[in-house]
Amino acid sequence: MNEQIIEERVALKINEDYCSSCSICSSLCPFEAIKRDTETGKTFLEIEKCQVCGICYSTCPAKAIDIIYYDIDSLTRYLERAKQEYDCDELVIMCKGSAPDFAGIEKLFGVTKFIPLSVPCVGRISEEVFLKAILMGIKRIYVLACDEDYCRFDKGSPIIGRKILALNLLLGQLGYGTEVITLNRNSLKVKVDKDLCIACGNCVFYCPYDAAKLDSPGVVSFDLSACKGCGLCVAMCPALALDLENWERESISALIAKLSSEMKPPKILVFRCQWAVFPPLNNGELAPNIRLIDLPCVSRVDTSHILEAFQKGIDGILIAGCSEEDCKQEGASKKAEHSVATLRERLGQIGLQDRLHFCTVAPRYPERFDRELEQFSKKLETIGLEESK
Amino acid sequence: MIVTTQKPLVEVLDFISPYSNSNSNILIAGCDGCTTPPRGLREAKTLSQLLELGGKLRGKNFTFKVTTVVKQCDSYLTASILKPQMDNVVAVLSLACGAGVQTIAEIFPELPVFPAQNTHFIGMEAREDGILEERCAGCGDCLLAQTGGICPITRCTKGLLNGACGGSKNGKCELDPERDCAWILIYERLKKQGKLELIKEFRPPRDYQLKGWRFTT
Repeated sequence: MNEQIIEERVALKINEDYCSSCSICSSLCPFEAIKRDTETGKTFLEIEKCQVCGICYSTCPAKAIDIIYYDIDSLTRYLERAKQEYDCDELVIMCKGSAPDFAGIEKLFGVTKFIPLSVPCVGRISEEVFLKAILMGIKRIYVLACDEDYCRFDKGSPIIGRKILALNLLLGQLGYGTEVITLNRNSLKVKVDKDLCIACGNCVFYCPYDAAKLDSPGVVSFDLSACKGCGLCVAMCPALALDLENWERESISALIAKLSSEMKPPKILVFRCQWAVFPPLNNGELAPNIRLIDLPCVSRVDTSHILEAFQKGIDGILIAGCSEEDCKQEGASKKAEHSVATLRERLGQIGLQDRLHFCTVAPRYPERFDRELEQFSKKLETIGLEESK
Repeated sequence: MIVTTQKPLVEVLDFISPYSNSNSNILIAGCDGCTTPPRGLREAKTLSQLLELGGKLRGKNFTFKVTTVVKQCDSYLTASILKPQMDNVVAVLSLACGAGVQTIAEIFPELPVFPAQNTHFIGMEAREDGILEERCAGCGDCLLAQTGGICPITRCTKGLLNGACGGSKNGKCELDPERDCAWILIYERLKKQGKLELIKEFRPPRDYQLKGWRFTT
């Protein structure tokens, strides 16, 4: 019997040779994933708790933490390449969680031409990256973080705020001026079409944050300070009266149509939670039959979008979300899984159930998403073979 | 609320298959009324998409129009909302309860009107568990004041008015051990309220005429 156990690749590791057990990482980790062994004094990582926010990586003074995503070298390489490609000296670093489209960025910062750098949480960007960018000749850096209580990693947004404050002071002392780096905060929230709302209270039931209220009869109101933009209520609204800023129903529909038209069969469309899979900086090369749509949470996956994709000729739809434990939106992914299962049951009635698959993945295991995608592709091939018989 | 469940899609496809492959429309009418969740615009759209996909696999092309009505059982509202949308409509698929389906059928007697849902009962939903249970039989002679707010007609399998019967065991029903004995629930509730004397009152057989079939407002 083959007893060999192949260790799965993980996204984050503490390198014991360099670690000085200073505990900065464990004090900053928002998920209590890094602990100190009281007996040995060694710092260790509980990978199952790690959400790969990168805060520990970017603050470790001993550079004892290895990370797969957005490490300093790959960020530097990206900036070098992008500076030439975009041919400008203004950089916008934005969090995927709250970044509007480029027109929105222009409006927020008053910039028209810029190098975009989009990452899951700007809290992961270390001071070194800012300084390297300035050394490359970048004149202004604009940072878009989420509002502090909207941050999916709890501490990412406050931490980048403090980093920028310190960096601007330092740059001022060095003679670069004190306003090289500008910080702005944003969050993307729900929108109500009062003409369509039927005051059924579905959103009141589903909202994980108690942001939806039916206090006055006739129409729902949202406490936008409580809304965290997961999109669950939008996907569940029976009256199609809700929408989510930057992930509007119509723009997702348009994207589905566009992607479907440029794909080759067998066409596989993936709806992903942007916290479940971290894409590479250059977005990688996608196979011609695969396209991805990243969403603020898997709960924004709308049954109507899934069906629309099938109508547009997509052969298989893979939905990748976080597990209930990893969900950044209070278990919204569980609700999404349930509604996908319900839709799958209905698709089963017309013989299409195997063309829709829901899986849970996490960035801590960087190979899992690819594995799920490969398995799903294989499954689709067998369906194709059966149907052609 | 009114509890309905989706009809199997294949059954619905059978209803509408004579109206395929033509330039005319099948109207799917949602109802924003009494179900949870309401089968409104979203469900109308979802159903149109599912039927289009299902039809395609069976070589049938359907053209749908989707709409929704605040309350399909209100004939005035339904007529005023639907009439302007009936151009080139050859059949209607209603997402409402049986009352809504019949309301539309009456407004447009020349058109075939099909139900997309099966209607079960008037009930309530425990949202967390997603359980739907019957709570009112519309008997026309409400007893809830005497029974601690628990309806024996719907919740006792035998609809007994003077329970519990001899088949009640450990608080469960002899016909369905999953089901609570309604009369034990009533006893406990009245005890909690200090109104146990109510259970001793004799309740004569129901007057089925009280259920009625038509009222004038």
